This record gives sequence, structure tokens and C-alpha cells, in this order.
Amino acid sequence: MEKTHKSTKRLKTAKELQKVVSDYYLRCISARSEGRPVGWMPPMNGVIELFYAMDLQPVFPENWSPVCAAFGLAPENFSVSENMGYSRDLCGYLRNIIGYVHGLMNEKDSPFGGLPEPDMLMSPGGGCVPVMKIFHELERRFPDAKVFYADLPQVAVEDIQAYHIDYAVAESQRLVGFLTEATGRRLDEDRLKEVVRLSDRACELWDEIMSFRRCRPVPFSAAEMGIMFVMVTLQGTQTAVDYLTRVRDEIRQKAEAGTGVIEDEKIRLFWDNIPLWYNMGLFNYFEKYGGVVVAETYSAAWSIRLDKENPIKSLALKSLMSYPLVSCVSINKRKEMVLKACRDYAIDGVIFHRNKSCLPITLGQMEIKEALEKELGIPSVIIDADHMDERNFSLAQFQTRVDAFMEMLLDRKE
Amino acid sequence: MKNNPIQPFEKTIEDSRQRLMALSASGRKTIGYFCTYTPIEILHACGLVPIRIRAGAGRMDKAGAHLPDFICPYMKLSLEKALDGHYDFLSGIVQGYSCDAACGLVNVWKDIFTDRFFHAMPLPYNDTRASRTYYRSALFELASRLEDLGGHFSETALTESLNLYSCIRSLQLELYDHRNKGNSAVTSRNLMAIVDAGFLLPPGEYLSMLADFMDRLPPDPPAAENGFPVMVSGSLVEDPKILDTIEASGGRIAADDLCNGFRQIFPADGRGKTPVDRLVDRYINRFPCPARARATDRSDRLLALAKDSGAKAVVFIVQKFCTPHLADYPTLSEVLKRNGLASILIEMDETWQMESQVKTRLESFFEMMGSAG
Repeated sequence: MEKTHKSTKRLKTAKELQKVVSDYYLRCISARSEGRPVGWMPPMNGVIELFYAMDLQPVFPENWSPVCAAFGLAPENFSVSENMGYSRDLCGYLRNIIGYVHGLMNEKDSPFGGLPEPDMLMSPGGGCVPVMKIFHELERRFPDAKVFYADLPQVAVEDIQAYHIDYAVAESQRLVGFLTEATGRRLDEDRLKEVVRLSDRACELWDEIMSFRRCRPVPFSAAEMGIMFVMVTLQGTQTAVDYLTRVRDEIRQKAEAGTGVIEDEKIRLFWDNIPLWYNMGLFNYFEKYGGVVVAETYSAAWSIRLDKENPIKSLALKSLMSYPLVSCVSINKRKEMVLKACRDYAIDGVIFHRNKSCLPITLGQMEIKEALEKELGIPSVIIDADHMDERNFSLAQFQTRVDAFMEMLLDRKE
Repeated sequence: MKNNPIQPFEKTIEDSRQRLMALSASGRKTIGYFCTYTPIEILHACGLVPIRIRAGAGRMDKAGAHLPDFICPYMKLSLEKALDGHYDFLSGIVQGYSCDAACGLVNVWKDIFTDRFFHAMPLPYNDTRASRTYYRSALFELASRLEDLGGHFSETALTESLNLYSCIRSLQLELYDHRNKGNSAVTSRNLMAIVDAGFLLPPGEYLSMLADFMDRLPPDPPAAENGFPVMVSGSLVEDPKILDTIEASGGRIAADDLCNGFRQIFPADGRGKTPVDRLVDRYINRFPCPARARATDRSDRLLALAKDSGAKAVVFIVQKFCTPHLADYPTLSEVLKRNGLASILIEMDETWQMESQVKTRLESFFEMMGSAG
């Protein structure tokens, strides 16, 4: 295995994803010529549904970074941003996207045609600091873009009060006003309800897909997690619902036939933190020991159900909850979710990716690790790496730790 | 003035643990906070003593079981001290949401010290009518939670607390003027000790100490001392030796934008019809922290501060792994340069012991500044 490696995909629908991805980016590139204003935004909030309801084109610079990592462009982007003075200690998403907009974006040979320039920027107040800082720099890089200065309380999910929701709703309404003024388009309530219904249906399908992970052998693993792309970029569209329906059907068929990811499944694993986008093949590494990564933290953030009869409030709640659910804002909640997933999916061992590029997800891992051992007796291993920057990843160290961990888990099974 | 007028402040810092343990044993409840966006006036108005958590210098040992290495020294060593029992006097923690590291650390702290009070207060990023309404609600929620801890909140008490802290901050800002005029009692090291002591005392007691110091302050000299005038900007500075090093290398600190300096003092007060409005106004108009503001907004403020103080260059002192500061640095240095101000970035780890390396870099920097005229 090399330091950068693609995963082996067994789902037909996971292989179809390439077309979904290229169609999405084609729509991004052609948006302006088709009369759809382009807005750049952070992922995991209720803005995406408003965009689709108003026929605007959402673009996610954060999500572009995995694409750059997969195509091997991240090192060049890092080189541009680091030459500008951005420290190597900063998040890889930040260094990648800032490097990209000041470098490769100006050239013609980007994957999928590259990203279109933004007409609008949804610049967050809230979320993690690196994402805030990405948008601050984007404001400078694209001075003609209209900027929405968003604001969202950073509150643990279990501590949300009525006044937090009131403020999030007021901010959603302010956003609708901004989009109307910036684009001249009005928000049609029925259309919004339909988009929210589609978004909720995608969440429902997502939950159904995840439920098949309880099966033994498990019909799909984290190696196929590229399917998450539609949850990030296409929530609220028929495309997402159709694609997830096909994924669900294929997985259901495999589950009913008892077809697992590997023939002799011995060890069921859980992965905490963001994957190494430049080496998704790591998820297949465990297979030589009969190990499958059955579940991961990241997939839990897409299960926030929406009420189409109360769309703005639903979207405001989604915005309030999404980031805390996967970060250190709600360590207690995260712990509860990881423990529940480990029970539901009958997990034998947990891999904690101590991610140099993501402090908000890394903080709290040790508390979760301890709870897993004390409450469920589930052992875990820590892997030091980085979701974007392969310079912070040692394959040899990964293999040494994982080999020892897997051997220990196999011993426990006997 | 006595030979060592700064001694009461230094002693306050040195003896803080014993003194605060005694205070706690006497029945006064102390509440810790990390970030100076925490509305300490509410804590004080509820009859509690707000104490800013300090980390000092050292190495991470026990805290390594909870934190990754790539978190700032302030967070590493604060937890280290807490695990060593240094903060046993605290009844709890209140945190105004600032950066990812502080947010995560207080959650880890909550998980470890389960018997203590804990409250995280998310602050708005914008200044709008709705954001101020939200801010007020968040303050009332905090007051209500503090009442569960035995505090008692009233608007009258809040007015008194606001007046007290306003008085303290006004005197501290006066000291900045004296430092810039070269007053021998107010060196940069001394000024830091004076300000830091304020984090560790009940505010009434601190105000008396501060007023006493001001009463006996010698007159300012006719002209400022030698050295190349610089502004220092950055994170929390836990060891004044770095300020000594700047001055020993040819610089003269004319202004600062530090987490335990001017940034958390200015403005002294806010305005509003009610005491809660006044509090909200002060915090919304605060000299901004990079965790909550754009580099471009900060650069305007830094340029104005440099102009007012006569600073001709900026020394950024940043705690290692501090994302907000490191992310702002490229933009800030570029804007400053465009406006004729050179800058240098110095990153400090938890030992705060990089003197010879830092001194060499600073000497070269000041030599270059000198030769540039």
C-alpha cells in the first residue's frame, strides 16, 4: 500500500457516484450561463435547502478539498497558501482552499472543470474557526461577491433553549431577505416545503441505509462513504432522493442475500473523525484480518429530520444542531452517539483518528475512548494523521498500530 | 514611591492559589473563566468571584491523557494545573464561546470535574437589533443558572458591578498612557503584572490596590525612552520574559493587542438604557479577538492603535497552534506592510523558553528596522 490510495468499492451504486459528482460540478460550472446565481457556503446547515428552493446554485469550498485530495492537487494548493504565510499548523481544508482560489482556480485544468466564481458568499459566524477564516479570506479574494454575514449560536445540542431557536429562525429569515435582494428572486413557500420534504426524505433514506449496518455480515463499509456526497451537496433535490433510493435498494438486496463486504467477517470496527481523503484505501486495510469498518462518526450528522409544515424553523434547527453533533461543542452528546452506534452495530473495536487538521473533532476523543472501555468494554486505538495533509501521516506507523490492534482483537474473539 | 511598587501585584500572582483556597474555604464562591469575552460583571453581580484561569509555563504530562499535542499551551497547561489540584478552589467554570480550543477544553473539563458548575455561553458574532436581543437572553440565562449555584442577581447589583469594572479598566487604560510616556514604574513587564493580578482578585480589592499604585505613581519623564517603537499583538502572554526580550533586543513596546492586555480592557464601558444593555454594548464593541473578527476589521484597529502610539512595526507573539491568530497573520502582515509597518511572527510553546532563538530574530529585525530608517 502507498501513502495515497483509493478505496476498493463493492457497491455498484458507489461506482455510479462518479456521474452524480461530475453532474453536480457541471451544474455548478454552467450555473451562471443558465441564469442561476452561485453562492459559496459551509456545509451542514439549513442554507442549502433555501438555495435549491430559490433555484440558486450552492457550492461548498470545504467539500472541494476532498476532491483536491483525491486528485492529488492538495500539495500544490498547500504550497500556494503556505507561501502566502499560512502556517502548516492550520487546518488542511483552510490551506487547501485558500491555495486553490489563489492558484489552480486561475488555471484551466481543474477536475470537473473547477469551481465557478461566487456571486454570493455565505460567510459564517459560528462553526469552527478555520471555516470562518476560510470565508474571511474568500471575501478578500472575491471582492465583487455579495456577502451574507451569518450568525449562529454555538450551543451544545442538549442545552438548546427557545431563545437560541428564535435567533436561528430570525437569522434564517434575514438570509431569505438577503437572497431576495441579492438575486431578485422570491422564495415560494410551496417550493420550499417541497425541497424540505425531499431533504427529509433523504435523511429518512440515509437512516434506512445506515440501519443495514446492523446486519452481520455488513453489506457495505466506510470504504463506500463517498455516497455521503449527496447529503453534503444535494440535500433537498430529487437527484439525492433517487440516488439514495438506488443505494438503499442495492444494500437491502445484499443484506437479504447475506452478502457481506468480505467473505469471512470477524471484526467489526468503528472509525472516529474525518477519513484521510488522500487514502480512502485505509478502510480496506483491515480486511486482511477479517475486519470491516462498519460505522463512523461522520455519518451521524445527516440524520436530522425536517418538518415540511414548518420549514424555516426546521432548517434553523438543522443549522443549530449539525456542527455541535460532530464537534467538541457537544462532547457529551457525541459520546452518547458513539456509544449507541457501537451497541447498535455490535462493534468490536474503535479507531480514533487523532486529526491534526481538525481540533474540534479530535477534542473529546479521549473522553469517548474512556467511556467505551468503561461502559462497553470496547478497546480502541489512536492513529495520528491528518484528513488533508499526507505529510502528517506515516503509513508505517499506521500499519504498526493497526496490526497490533487487530491481532489483539482477534485474540479476544478466540 | 516604594522601591518595588509592583510587589503587591506580583505577590498576588505568586500567592494566588493559597489566597483563593482560603477565600473559597471562607465561603466565597469563585468561578473560573478562560476567555475575556466571559461577562464577568454578571458573575460578580451574582455575588461570585470571577477568576481568570492561568496556565503559566511548563510541560504537559497528565493532561496528555485528555488532549492532543496540537492544542495551544494555554489549554494544555491549564488542564495540567487543574489535574494537579491547582484549581480546586473553583466552584465551577463559565465560558463565553470564543475559539474551538477553549470550547473543547471546557467540555473536557466538564467531563472530568463532574461535581462542579459549568456553563458555556454562545455569543453572537454580529451587531444587529436581533443579535443584541439574543445576547440579553443569553445573559439572563447565565444569571438564572448562577442563581442555582446560590448567587442572587439584580439589576442594581449589576449596575454596581459595571461601575466597578469600568473604574478598573479606566485606571488600567491610564497606565497605558504612562507607559507610552516612559514612566519608570510602568514598564511593559510591570504593566502585565498589574493587569494579570486583576484576574486573580475580587475586583473591589483589586481596585484599592490599583488606586494606591496610581496615587503614588512618579511623574512621567519629559521624553520617552530609547528603542524602536513597536506594537505587540497576539494571544495570551503567560511569561513577561518575552516582553523583556523585545526590549533588550532594541525594541520599545508602545502599544499592545494582547489577550491579557489592551484587547480585553478597551473600551472601559458600554452604553445602554438598562445595565444589561450597557453590558451587551461593551462586549459587542470590544477591541476584537481574531476568534470572533475578520483580519481586515482588526487591521483597521491595529493601524489606528499604531498611529496613536507611534508604533512603527508589529511583533506578533502567538501561542503555538493558535488557529485564530495564525489564520489572520498573512492578511494582517500584508495590510500592515502596505501601510508602512513591518511585522515579525514569533510562536511560543508551553515552556516559554526560546529566549536565545527569539532574541537573535528580534535583534536582526530591529537592526533591519534601524537601517531602514
